[in-house]
Amino acid sequence: MMPDPVQPVYDADHGDVVEAQRSKKGDGMSATAVQTLGDAETPVLESASSIVSAYFAKLLPMLEEHAARLASEIVESGGDGLTATRMDDLVEPHAHELLDFADEPIYGAGFIATVDLLADAPSHLAWWQGADRRKLVFPPRSIKQSIDYRDLEWFRVPSLTGNSHVAGPYVDYLCSDEYTMTAAAPVTVDGNFVGVAGLDVLIETIERRLTPPLRALASPVLLVNGVNRVLVSTDRRFSAGDVLRADRVEVLERRGCDAVDLEVVILR
Amino acid sequence: MFLPIGDAGRAELVERRISEAITGGHLRAGDRLPSEADLARTMGVAPVTVREALLGLRSRGLVVTRRGRNGGSFVSEEADPLEFARETLLASSRFAIRDLGVHYAALTMAGVRLAARRSAPVEVAAIRSRLGRLDGLAGRELTPTELGAWRQTMDDLVLELVALSQSARLTRDQMRLQAEFSPLLRLIDVDAGIRVHHRELFENVLGAVESGDEDAAGAAIERLIADAIDALDELRLRADDA
Repeated sequence: MMPDPVQPVYDADHGDVVEAQRSKKGDGMSATAVQTLGDAETPVLESASSIVSAYFAKLLPMLEEHAARLASEIVESGGDGLTATRMDDLVEPHAHELLDFADEPIYGAGFIATVDLLADAPSHLAWWQGADRRKLVFPPRSIKQSIDYRDLEWFRVPSLTGNSHVAGPYVDYLCSDEYTMTAAAPVTVDGNFVGVAGLDVLIETIERRLTPPLRALASPVLLVNGVNRVLVSTDRRFSAGDVLRADRVEVLERRGCDAVDLEVVILR
Repeated sequence: MFLPIGDAGRAELVERRISEAITGGHLRAGDRLPSEADLARTMGVAPVTVREALLGLRSRGLVVTRRGRNGGSFVSEEADPLEFARETLLASSRFAIRDLGVHYAALTMAGVRLAARRSAPVEVAAIRSRLGRLDGLAGRELTPTELGAWRQTMDDLVLELVALSQSARLTRDQMRLQAEFSPLLRLIDVDAGIRVHHRELFENVLGAVESGDEDAAGAAIERLIADAIDALDELRLRADDA
């Protein structure tokens, strides 16, 4: 008998990828609610969690579908000897389709190849962004060119876990120079990871969309990521970008969201 | 550097972006520039604007153009970032150097203080591990390429730290100011003792940010930048003596 495969998963409590038994489903998406309050608070977090889940449920499956289509197009175009220009041609229609998404303004979209995938470039970003959908181009050896994106959360987590991941909020000084979240889905060919398909949504966009429904709940809530960084808050003590430090604030209750590595939180 | 600029008639801006990339060492001697059409497309200007900018760069000796199948525009073989930095230093008054330092310090301190408040320990640890990769470059004589790598990594790490402020505006300003200040820092990087010292001072900054101590983080980054500015000022003074 083979032992259970050990599958790296995203550990939302530590904001990092850890080895875990796949069968346990102990990933950061499951709820880790600490029930220290009366049941009265639970409906607030339940509602908050489903508001957030519904929001990302619109984006992630769409991105994953593009990732799958792109994978088969990479196979069709021969796989080996793929050039950066050919890759751009394959990715551009997908990027435009994502940027066309009517429900929500998407700031940037594209594909980031894993190192040594392409015949003529050690690494490559095929990325379109902004109101005019300009293609991102780095000059050789600029500060941005030298950044090793394998270390960055939106690349690292999907490459290690094989699952989609929503990274951020973070100041994206690589692509947009904006405060953003990046959703990334792994692209695999014959079981091999070849890169991530991604899309950026500005924090402003998410804040604008999620604040009204969260404000309507009976008590203030915060939406936080794996390192306890706030995306959206209706608690006036915190706003987007702040971090909840365990030594400074007391979390009364927290709960995961389906399909996305985020949690909703109520503070004392 | 090659980011969108806007309407046509901006040849000077295009020229300045490219010349900054060359004098700052981001484009190096012998590097091939993208084609005129590609430059025009990515910088959002008309091809004729790029042509005008290249003309200016050629007349300043920063760029050479070769014809033929492997032709194109290339960074001049004489382009040496250290030489450009020396010229910039000499052309600047002591007041201007000090004032640039004050501006850079104020901005960076604000970013680092916020980073101390808003970063997660795991994010600071990632910066520290990248700093560790510089260990081999600190206390010995370096080649020009190694010196370039040292400066680039230090700039990246400071930028990453400021980005942990979670402020897009501060981070953009940091990038802009860094492009101006960083070429000068190459002049003091050549001193191995200064590199070892600055590496230690940066380590202190990371420690203070990691423990969430805003005041200590601000004071630590101020010490690092003040030390760099004092060293630059000393160089400027000595240049006048010579």
